[in-house]
Order: sequence, then C-alpha cells, then structure tokens
Amino acid sequence: MELITATITNLLILSSMYILVALGFAFLFSMLGILNLAHGAIYMLGGYIGLSLIMALGLNQWLALLLTTLIVATFGIFLEKYCFRPFVGDFNRIITICVVITVVLQTGVNIIAGTQILSLPPFAEGVLHIGPASVSYERIVTFAIGAVLLLAITWFVNRTKWGQQMQAISQDLEGAYLQGINVHRVSALATFMGCGLAAIAGCLMGAYLCLGPFMGDFMLVKVLMLTIIAGVGSISGIFIAGIILGSLDSILPLLVSGAASDATAVGILIVLLLIRPQGFFGHEVEM
Amino acid sequence: MERRLSIKGRRELTRPAVYAGLAVIVALLPLFFESPYILHILILTFIYIIATVSFRTIVISGQFPLAHAAFMGIGAYLAAMAAKWLGMSPWITIPLSALITAGIGMLIGYPFSRLRSLYYAMGSLFFGMGIIQVIYAGGSWTGGYSGLTGIPALLPGVGSKVPYYYFFLGLALVSIIALYRIEFSRIGTNLKAIAQSHVVASSVGINEGGYRILAVGVGCFFVGLAGASYAHYNMVLSCSSFNFMATLWLVMYVLIGGVSSFAGPIVGTIILIIIPEYFRDLKMYSPFVNAVILGIVVYLMPQGLVGLPRLVKSKFTERRKTKKVNHAS
Repeated sequence: MELITATITNLLILSSMYILVALGFAFLFSMLGILNLAHGAIYMLGGYIGLSLIMALGLNQWLALLLTTLIVATFGIFLEKYCFRPFVGDFNRIITICVVITVVLQTGVNIIAGTQILSLPPFAEGVLHIGPASVSYERIVTFAIGAVLLLAITWFVNRTKWGQQMQAISQDLEGAYLQGINVHRVSALATFMGCGLAAIAGCLMGAYLCLGPFMGDFMLVKVLMLTIIAGVGSISGIFIAGIILGSLDSILPLLVSGAASDATAVGILIVLLLIRPQGFFGHEVEM
Repeated sequence: MERRLSIKGRRELTRPAVYAGLAVIVALLPLFFESPYILHILILTFIYIIATVSFRTIVISGQFPLAHAAFMGIGAYLAAMAAKWLGMSPWITIPLSALITAGIGMLIGYPFSRLRSLYYAMGSLFFGMGIIQVIYAGGSWTGGYSGLTGIPALLPGVGSKVPYYYFFLGLALVSIIALYRIEFSRIGTNLKAIAQSHVVASSVGINEGGYRILAVGVGCFFVGLAGASYAHYNMVLSCSSFNFMATLWLVMYVLIGGVSSFAGPIVGTIILIIIPEYFRDLKMYSPFVNAVILGIVVYLMPQGLVGLPRLVKSKFTERRKTKKVNHAS
C-alpha cells in the first residue's frame, strides 16, 4: 500500500512538474521555432532565487515563491529581447546563445552557492492519513499548485485574446503578422510566462527533492523529450506526453533496477519517435 | 581569361604549400614546448579535431546528430573493454572499435533516416542518452558510475608525451585528408544536394536514405577512431566526457568555427580548447571565458570565425560605397 501511494503521488508530481516546465519551452518552440536549451538553467535559477530569498532575506515561503516567479519572468523578457529576437530563424546561433546563457547561469550559481546539494524548506508539513494510505502534505501542496497552474494556463491559452494570439502565431507566423498581431509583444509574453512557470517548478522541485547547479540538465532533457513526443503546437499533447513521461519515470524503477530503467525509458521514447516522427498530437515543422 | 587561369593555377600551387607549411610548424611544436601539460592539451585538441570534422561530415548531409560524443564513447568503451578484458593489443582494438562504431552508426542511421531536421536531432539525442545509460548499467564491465580504469596504454613504457603527440598528429592529419577527399568527391556533392533539397536530390536519382546512412557511417568511423585512441591515451574513461553536455560542446566547437566551411571545425576546436586553457588560473570563473568567446562570435560573426575575413572585407567595401554615394549627393 505504501509503495502504491508513493508511486502514484510521485507520478502525479513528476508529471505536473514536467508539464509546467515544458509548457514554457513549448510556447517558444511552437511560436518562433526557438529551441530554448537554456530552459533547464532558468528552472535551476528559479530554485536558487527562491532559496536565497527565503534564506538571505528571511521572506515567507509563499511570498518568496511569488517574487521568484516575477523576477525570473522579467529576466525572461530580457532574454527574449536581447538573446532570442535577433536570431529567430537561425537554428545554429539560437543554440549557441542558449549554451552561453546556460554556462553563465550555471557558473554564476556555482560560484555564489557552491556545488553542495541544497534544499528549500518544505511548503507544508505533516502527513495526511486516508484509510490505510498516508500522503505527506508537501506532496499534496506541490501537486495542487501544479494542477491549478496548469488549469489556469489552459484557460489562458484557450479563452483569452492573448492566448488565442499565441495559438495563431504558432499555427502560422506570417498569417499572424498579416492579421495585425504584435508578434514581438506576444512572444515576450510567452517567454515571461514560460520562465515564470519554470521558476515555480524550480522552487517546488527544490523543496520536494533538492537543488544543485546542474539540476537543469536533467530537466532540459525531459522537456525536450516531452515536447518532441507531444508534437509542435499542441497543449493537450503536452499534458498527455507529460503523464507518459512521468509514469515511465515513476513506474519503471519498480520493475527494472538502476540505470537500466533510464535506458528502457529512452528506448521506449525512441520507438515512439520512430512510429510518429512529427509527434503524436501536433503538426510537423520544417526548420 | 589567361590571367584568371594563371591566378587559379598559382592558388592551386600555393594552397597545398601553405597547408604543408602549417603541418610542419605543428610537427615542430614539441621542440619548443617541452612541458607535458602543453603537449597534453595539444593532443586533446587533435582528438577533438577528428571528432568535430567528422561531425561536419554528417552535418553536410542535412542531418544534425546530437549523439556524436556518445558515439565517441562507444568507440572508447569498446576499445577499452576489448583491451582490458580480452587482452587485445591497442593496435587491433582501435581500428576494430572504429569499424564497430561505424556499424552501430549505420544500423541506427537506417531507422533514423526517416526522421528529418529537428526530429533527427532529437532522435539522435535520445539515442545518445540511451548509450550513456547502457554504459552506467554495464556494472563492472564498463565501470558504471565510477568510470573504467586500468586501460592498457597505446605505447607501453613510454614516459614522454612526444611519441603520443606525433601519433595523434598523424591520426588527425590522415582523418582530415580522408574527410576532405570525401567531402569534395562525388559523394560529398550528393550529400550537399540532399541537404539542400531531399526532394530534388531524389528526383535526379540520388539514393537519399543510402547516402545519409553512408554519411553517418563515415562520421561514426572517424569519431570512433578518435574515441578509441583517446581511451588508450588517457587510460581512464568516465561517462561524463560523452554525455549530452559533451555533445553540446562538440557542437559549439563546430558552430564557433563555422559550419559552412571545412576549416570551421578545426579553427573552432583550436580556439575553444586552447584559449580557455590559457585562462586556467581563473579556476571557477573559467567557464565565463568560454561564454565570452561564444557570445562575441554569436553576436558579431553570423558565419562563425571562418566567415570573419569575408565579413571585414564586406564591411570595408560597404563603407567605401556609402562614401561614394555621399560624395555624389
């Protein structure tokens, strides 16, 4: 029973976090074709800024979470304007500038915080008992924040004018220009949201697991997998792919031990990619 | 007409002479630098030059492999395991594991030849990660997380780095010449045609899948060679030299030099290995040196370092033109 509840909560939390980080990546990728390899580093930055706000300034955790989101999201607008916008459409230079951002952030964090593994204080304490099962409040809160944010983002993208402009851009960039959509402003908004979501995920994962300067690399790889499996320009696809990845990561270690489980997960993903190269839900992009 | 021909003829004579002169200078370097540390850096540069130039051979066929460091890892681990556990001589394991790496590359290239552009890049990225996980899962055979030690040396009983230096210089020269010949042969032309438009290329009778697999095979052969000889030179292998970040740095070497020209990867590798070594005293801050180089190149030189002379020239002619226009007005 203990194992089953642990696996299920793990699955839910991992899936929601993967989806949170991947949404920001997928916005930029489907709208402007930017393969933002710095997204993992931004996620890591979120965790560390949250930690320093709590530790150094002694802020309340929830206030720190909010402030971190705003800081990192504003940093995202800066990134969009000076690092991504000049190179849109040039794949090679985009990945180079993303490596530059990653190196600068990772080295900076490494110098300031050191390589030791840190952790945010938990957002909630105590354990909830439902019949034979017991779940810690920490996990419930993490999953609840993730789920609420995901619902909000879905509502935003589908129901508001900004969200529909984002969808229009991801369907056809030139068509969106012709309709009078301010593409720069909308892509700045998308980067703002994407970086904010990554920062929230960074804080939550920093409290749920731990923080390290190189934790972004792991998440970046997961996000790349997720976006490719989902396909370009599909929000619901990201949700389903996130759940697939989360369940692979939480269930496979029970069946196969150690590194072999990661190898199996990668093998399954390669097979999925070969069955449908353009992803399962979106449309194919030519780059 | 006659004059142009003679210029071309002169160029055909001078170019090989310049390259031969460069090779001689590089060959004479151990006379001036005796410190084993500098020789070690130069040897690493040679190894990575083989890897990046072979990476470009795959790139000119329109494929962007993000598993190149993983293939280097395959070559290195195969050679190391064959030498350590089966007791084979390094002189057999190096060519053998290069061949097996090429075979694995072609086997993987067959299903992946369905994938195009970004999807190929992502497929190969997943494959590279899978390889790393397989090496981790290999237990005592591959050394797992702690790395593989005690690999037999290429030249046992040689204390100095100078013989190694000449071995890797020769290996790099042979690989560069072979890959240059391939790129400017009929095969290379076909690969470039596929990269420009796979539809047009197949309509004129180029076997798209076959040539793409061939490009991957050639690239993997040379990167396997580099990896295998690296294993016997370094005698210690760790997985982190072949993971996703390693591949990304390999890509950076190529992109900084400029992917559009053959000299690009060579220039990029030299710049990005040797300049950061010069700033080694900065310790923790030294990755910033890499970031600064990359930033300068990405903002100021769209074609990479190799495109710099042309960029400067075009800037000058532009200025002259605008001056003339100003005079006229």
